Amino acid sequence: MAKGYRQAPGKSGDKKRTDGKRVAGQQDFGVPGSGGSNPHSNLQDLDYVPESVGGWKKQPRGPHVHDRHITGMTIGKSVPLVDSNWKVTGQAEYGDDIRLQGELIGKILRSPHHYAKIRSIDVSAAEAMEGVFAVATGQDSVNKFGVLPVTKDEHAMAQDKVRHVGDLVACVCAIDEATAIEAMNAIIVDYEVLPSIHDMEDGLKDSEHPIHDRGKYHIGESNVQKRVFQQFGDLDGMKSAPFVHESDWETAGLHHGFTEPHAVVAHWDPAGRLTVWTPQQVPHYLHRGLSAVLDIPMHQINVHRTFVGGGFGGKSDPFPHEMCAAILARKSGRPVRINFDREEVYWINRGRHPSRIQMGVFADDEGRIAGIETDALIDGGAFASFGHVTTYYNGVLHTAPYEIGAFNYTGARVWTNKPASGAMRGHGAVNSRCAVEVGIDAVSEQMNVDPMTFRLANLLPPHSRTITGFRVTSTGMRECLAKVREQSGWDEKFRNLPLGKGIGVGCGFFISGSGLPIHWDPENFPHATVHLQCDMDGGVTVHTGAADIGQGSDTAVAQAVSEVLALPLDMIRIRSKESDTAPVDLGSYSSRVTFMNCNAAIKAACELRDKVMKAAWEITGYNPDVLVLGDRRIYYKHDPAVGVSWLEAVHKAQADVGSLIASGAYRTPPMGGVHKGAAAGLAPAYSFSAYVAEVDVDVETGFVKITKAWAAHDCGKALNPLAVKGQIIGSCHMGMGQVLSEEMKYGRDGHLMNPDLLDYKIMSVHEMPDVVPIIVESNDPEGPFGAKEAGEGPLLPILPAVCNAIYDAIGIRINELPVTPDRLHKRIEKHCRKIKVDDPLDLPVPRFEPGPLQQVLVERAEAHAKRDHLRDIQEDRSSYVNGVLFGFDPDKPMAEQKEGWREAVVPTPQDLADPSKRAARAWGHVERRHRGDE
Amino acid sequence: MRMPPFTLHTPENLAKALALANELDNFDWVAGGTDLLPNYKWHLNPKPNVISLAKVNELTALSGTVIGAMVRIHDLANSEDAHPLIRETAATIASVMIRRSATVGGNICLDTRCYWYNQTEEWRRSIDWCHKCDCDTEADCRVIPNQNTLCVATYQADLAAAFIALDATIHLASGAGARSMPFAEFFQLDGMTRNVLKPGELVTHVTLPEDAKNWQGAYQKLRLRETWDFPEAGVAAAWKLEGGKITGLRVATTGCESIPGDHSELAETAIVEWSGKDSIRELADGVRKAVKPVSNTYFPPAYRRKMLRVLTRRALAPLEHL
Amino acid sequence: MLPSAGKETWNASVNEEQHEHLVESNAILLDVLRDQVGTLGVKRGCDMGTCGCCAVLIDGEPRLSCLCLAKEAQGTQIVTVEGLADGHHLHPIQQCFAEAGGSQCGFCTPGFLIVSAALLDENPEPSRDEIKCAIEGNLCRCTGYQQIVDAVEMAASMKRNGAIPPNPTDPKSDPHPLGPDDPSLPPGSSK
Ligand SMILES: Cc1cc2nc3c(=O)[nH]c(=O)nc-3n(C[C@H](O)[C@H](O)[C@H](O)COP(=O)(O)OP(=O)(O)OC[C@H]3O[C@@H](n4cnc5c(N)ncnc54)[C@H](O)[C@@H]3O)c2cc1C
Ligand code: SF4
Ligand code: FES
Ligand code: FES
Repeated sequence: MAKGYRQAPGKSGDKKRTDGKRVAGQQDFGVPGSGGSNPHSNLQDLDYVPESVGGWKKQPRGPHVHDRHITGMTIGKSVPLVDSNWKVTGQAEYGDDIRLQGELIGKILRSPHHYAKIRSIDVSAAEAMEGVFAVATGQDSVNKFGVLPVTKDEHAMAQDKVRHVGDLVACVCAIDEATAIEAMNAIIVDYEVLPSIHDMEDGLKDSEHPIHDRGKYHIGESNVQKRVFQQFGDLDGMKSAPFVHESDWETAGLHHGFTEPHAVVAHWDPAGRLTVWTPQQVPHYLHRGLSAVLDIPMHQINVHRTFVGGGFGGKSDPFPHEMCAAILARKSGRPVRINFDREEVYWINRGRHPSRIQMGVFADDEGRIAGIETDALIDGGAFASFGHVTTYYNGVLHTAPYEIGAFNYTGARVWTNKPASGAMRGHGAVNSRCAVEVGIDAVSEQMNVDPMTFRLANLLPPHSRTITGFRVTSTGMRECLAKVREQSGWDEKFRNLPLGKGIGVGCGFFISGSGLPIHWDPENFPHATVHLQCDMDGGVTVHTGAADIGQGSDTAVAQAVSEVLALPLDMIRIRSKESDTAPVDLGSYSSRVTFMNCNAAIKAACELRDKVMKAAWEITGYNPDVLVLGDRRIYYKHDPAVGVSWLEAVHKAQADVGSLIASGAYRTPPMGGVHKGAAAGLAPAYSFSAYVAEVDVDVETGFVKITKAWAAHDCGKALNPLAVKGQIIGSCHMGMGQVLSEEMKYGRDGHLMNPDLLDYKIMSVHEMPDVVPIIVESNDPEGPFGAKEAGEGPLLPILPAVCNAIYDAIGIRINELPVTPDRLHKRIEKHCRKIKVDDPLDLPVPRFEPGPLQQVLVERAEAHAKRDHLRDIQEDRSSYVNGVLFGFDPDKPMAEQKEGWREAVVPTPQDLADPSKRAARAWGHVERRHRGDE
Repeated sequence: MRMPPFTLHTPENLAKALALANELDNFDWVAGGTDLLPNYKWHLNPKPNVISLAKVNELTALSGTVIGAMVRIHDLANSEDAHPLIRETAATIASVMIRRSATVGGNICLDTRCYWYNQTEEWRRSIDWCHKCDCDTEADCRVIPNQNTLCVATYQADLAAAFIALDATIHLASGAGARSMPFAEFFQLDGMTRNVLKPGELVTHVTLPEDAKNWQGAYQKLRLRETWDFPEAGVAAAWKLEGGKITGLRVATTGCESIPGDHSELAETAIVEWSGKDSIRELADGVRKAVKPVSNTYFPPAYRRKMLRVLTRRALAPLEHL
Repeated sequence: MLPSAGKETWNASVNEEQHEHLVESNAILLDVLRDQVGTLGVKRGCDMGTCGCCAVLIDGEPRLSCLCLAKEAQGTQIVTVEGLADGHHLHPIQQCFAEAGGSQCGFCTPGFLIVSAALLDENPEPSRDEIKCAIEGNLCRCTGYQQIVDAVEMAASMKRNGAIPPNPTDPKSDPHPLGPDDPSLPPGSSK
């Protein structure tokens, strides 16, 4: 272990690239988990310490590096969120609850046009109004910002053009809301309306007025914001596979639907420093954004995260209204508060991309997945936001959990004149995952095998690599499937239920933290940092920048510290709100917080513990090797009565070393390939999940009711089972909304028709079925105490599980989301006409007759189960890469073993020949810089 | 969200309310406010004066045959006295929280709804307004363009269908005196005028015929979620059985057009030669043909029409084997 | 422009304390509670009756304060989430929401607490279906409602048993434990 992990295959050492980049799969990296090189207390004799206080407990999947830090305090126990008493007493302060003396109310003037040039803005009447303190327009801030440094395309307010209805034009602050609204209405803007684009396919074409101008990087004269091409594997083998399911999906745009509308308060203090209070998931990027927009150094800004009333990705961009508040506060000299109406929340959006996805799933006659072919066109709306990443995620995140023969992906994201899409729970993976899983269901049916068996016989094992080079460490996929199969009674129900009743399965795969941070400062900048401070009272204050958005990150980090130091939770206090006191954390996105922040916290806590242990050594005379931390005491392991209290040891340590502080950081180990885009989808660990859903379909009305769902999620280790279950059930609720009812509806003229909670249909308590959350623990080698994410991944499988259940119920394959009653009713009518049935109540239901492949796959699945177990408990850790199932040698480059094996990230003309593929068309354009002079 | 400025008046009894109504020339009644206040927040035709009926006690009578305008929907849904069909229908309205404020009168006089209208002021500015709230622009209707005389916004109150099915009478009062009429005649086919109420006139109560208790019924409501959502189509049916024979049948719809629909003539014809399932099917087709929803609510009109047939069939299911 | 509405005195008891404010004739209760009374625990989620975050008890009955004219709540007894606890003892429903995971981001929580507290006053032993019907006007985006229903069930039984939630101001664990009561046991078992 001391040498650290090595990534398979390849050898470590000499093969360094001259450009300083890493060579894929060819390096050693540090001891997992803490990102450091010095595992603490490695001598602690865990066999001796009683289990009740954290002694050795055999883990079903083998030992974990953090086992030796287990003290039995809180890890694995269901504890309430540490801030829940604030929430249940109404004392939690959210954005709009920050009220400062002398505050002014800010209002934003928004564009009434989809797309227009601003000829002039006259603010004089507004400025002259009594009670108005400041008016600002685009001219007050000309600097660009955006969450991704590569695609900064936003401004605090429109510069020369407005790009969607609701785009920010100007803002005012006044003594009260009424005056602010009046002033806002007194601003006169002269627009020249431009032709707007609403259909994403139009975005692929050249346009006279592209929505943004990327200068020499502009792709043609089109509205293509990002395009991706990835081709890996044996494409010919894929194309000649006998079982094929191709489908063309249309999925609607979605909003996060958090209950708290955005709100922000900005104030410049007498010393000229700016404090911004805002419910942000990613305070650090806002910090950077404010600095750029206001042209002031970062140290002049304090970003104060308030309680966040739900985020789900929708509060993770730096937002223009946050800039507006700061600008107005600067101009007026008074604190400014802006809070959104529900409709404005939809205009700022950043929700799930409306998408058109062409999905091909191919299977060969041995029941293997010969390939997955995806073409995803996604509608980015008016700004880039996280879209660069989304474009990758729509493809690269289906290179697991299955072993596949080939992967062929084209993706494109276009700008349209709609509110911007962005990151939303399950970022980029949800729509295409649904398409993959439905495809898998369909090919299993063609092969006459049970889709459950088909999945079980095609899983990547633990400690393997995907076809594009993602390093998969732990996986609990097999156990997830096995559990839902058993608990749902799958074997009796599948294809056996009467018309209108159905059961379906779906799987999910998601990143647990993104391998590369957005603001990437190679090697040096940690993803997460935690500082601990312990004073004479013996309590420990944790300083972290991780943003608790309701998922419970404060609780998780408190648990990690409490566990290592053997202190009860009430002795740990979290300070995570202000950038002034919190070390940088990259924020609550890509399911990174528990994994990264808790790892940093464990490291910091170990450092603190060692200082205190040293003091205990001096007091007791026993070396730390024979000392054990128990509940608020440090004692001699052979005689628990001998020891010192935590406080005594702390006091001694302070006397010896002065202040008692410690700090820990986490950075990801280097991983992955070197091809363009290799970093997208890389994660230090991945989560896996499998759900079974049961539905009732009313064939006369098209209504689908989910009656029950069994939801198994592999979160590595449930640090707090109560919170993990909450995430699973909550994810189910959101996913059920996406599959059955939620959509951002655009009217015939491109207007968003339902910017409110009445017509944006979030499921109520009555639609919510009984969800059985099932926690699977695969004990991730690098996760804190084995943990991985549980916040986003659990959303993915519910969509395909429901779609597949609908098929089981009525024999109709879904390819459009949401499956609202009117849509499904149309499909039912069409289906009836096609198969010449008059009354939908007479529809035939699909039935299952196992074919010859079924038994082959059952046996293979059994063999694989054994294989995986051996890899888990470390009896077999031979290298394994995607392809072994197809007979490849994992230690040799694939290209050497198979003629025609492709690894391409730039298409050839043949690759783009199929005119029916949409995203591929984005590659028909040439970037301006490559176009020579003409 | 900023309320438009208005003065709220809270008269303590009916006489004072009607007197006040005579005095003020431009005002709205407010009962529970669950329809009026959202509309005001969005600045949909607000008036400078609002007269609240909250304190007017004369309007709260509730029995098997009399239902006061100020009876709260929640009380109606839980009342032991009210007709079962009325109770069933009331329980489907909005959510329990809204039902605690909402009233029968407000439900009957509910403003018509439309995707292009029930939006914020900002939003409506982006479509250059529409005829129903045109902000002095003479804007066109956005649903059926090139005409600016009629508004086809949809009447989406649930109770009306049940009242019509039970052959209720509606009672109005104004400074000029009281009048009453069959329930269906209260409505006017225009999304803007909506009903026959004259300025200063209000709904006092609804009465059901004496033998209403001998009528049974069912209400079927089309909506995506089982709470909050307005009816995208609603069918109420009421029937009277005597000696195993249907001696009366009435069917009414709501949520489809600017006014609720009374299909009792169709129903009366159907029972002359009742043949169970087939009659139901025929009647359901008739209802479907009689109603023409437009595209201004959540579900597409074609779907709503088709569902009328299913809803009617389901409402009449108890009569299948007669 | 329409003339601004006149101001009048408004009074009501909020969390057992008399409040008197000058409010506009058209004022909405939610705005008065948040901006003038200062009970910021009452949340504004939609302002349109569709989320339930703004629920308060008016004379014991849960109501949406965003759809209530302030003047109509004149002279009433209003209870907001801030008024549920008994001193430092949480109301059982508050305790159980924390313990059962009924609150994630917490923004919807005040509304859910108000309607569930009212439900338990009315019905000490509600079934899961009855609980669902009582909370159907409240929207939660985080929890999927299941743990909320659990919390209400748990609170109902807590209330029936007369259990009183602990006082969080009671002394907490001491970082200076005396040592194990029984020296043969590890210190985890000390007081
Ligand atoms: C989220 C939401 C969901 C809803 N869902 C439904 C639903 O599913 N089904 C449904 O039917 N409704 C629904 N509603 C609408 C409304 O809540 C109900 O129709 C309610 O019954 C209206 O009653 P009210 O007392 O609150 O009306 P108010 O808002 O007080 O009044 C409504 C209208 O009627 C007039 N009015 C009130 N009383 C009288 C009277 N006595 N005489 C003359 N005019 C009068 C008012 O001037 C006003 O124009 C919903 C509302 C919301 C906000
Ligand atoms: S039907 Fe026409 S006039 Fe009436 S509200 Fe809708 S768009 Fe306006
Ligand atoms: S704020 Fe009152 S219901 Fe949403
Ligand atoms: S806990 Fe976040 S909305 Fe309910």
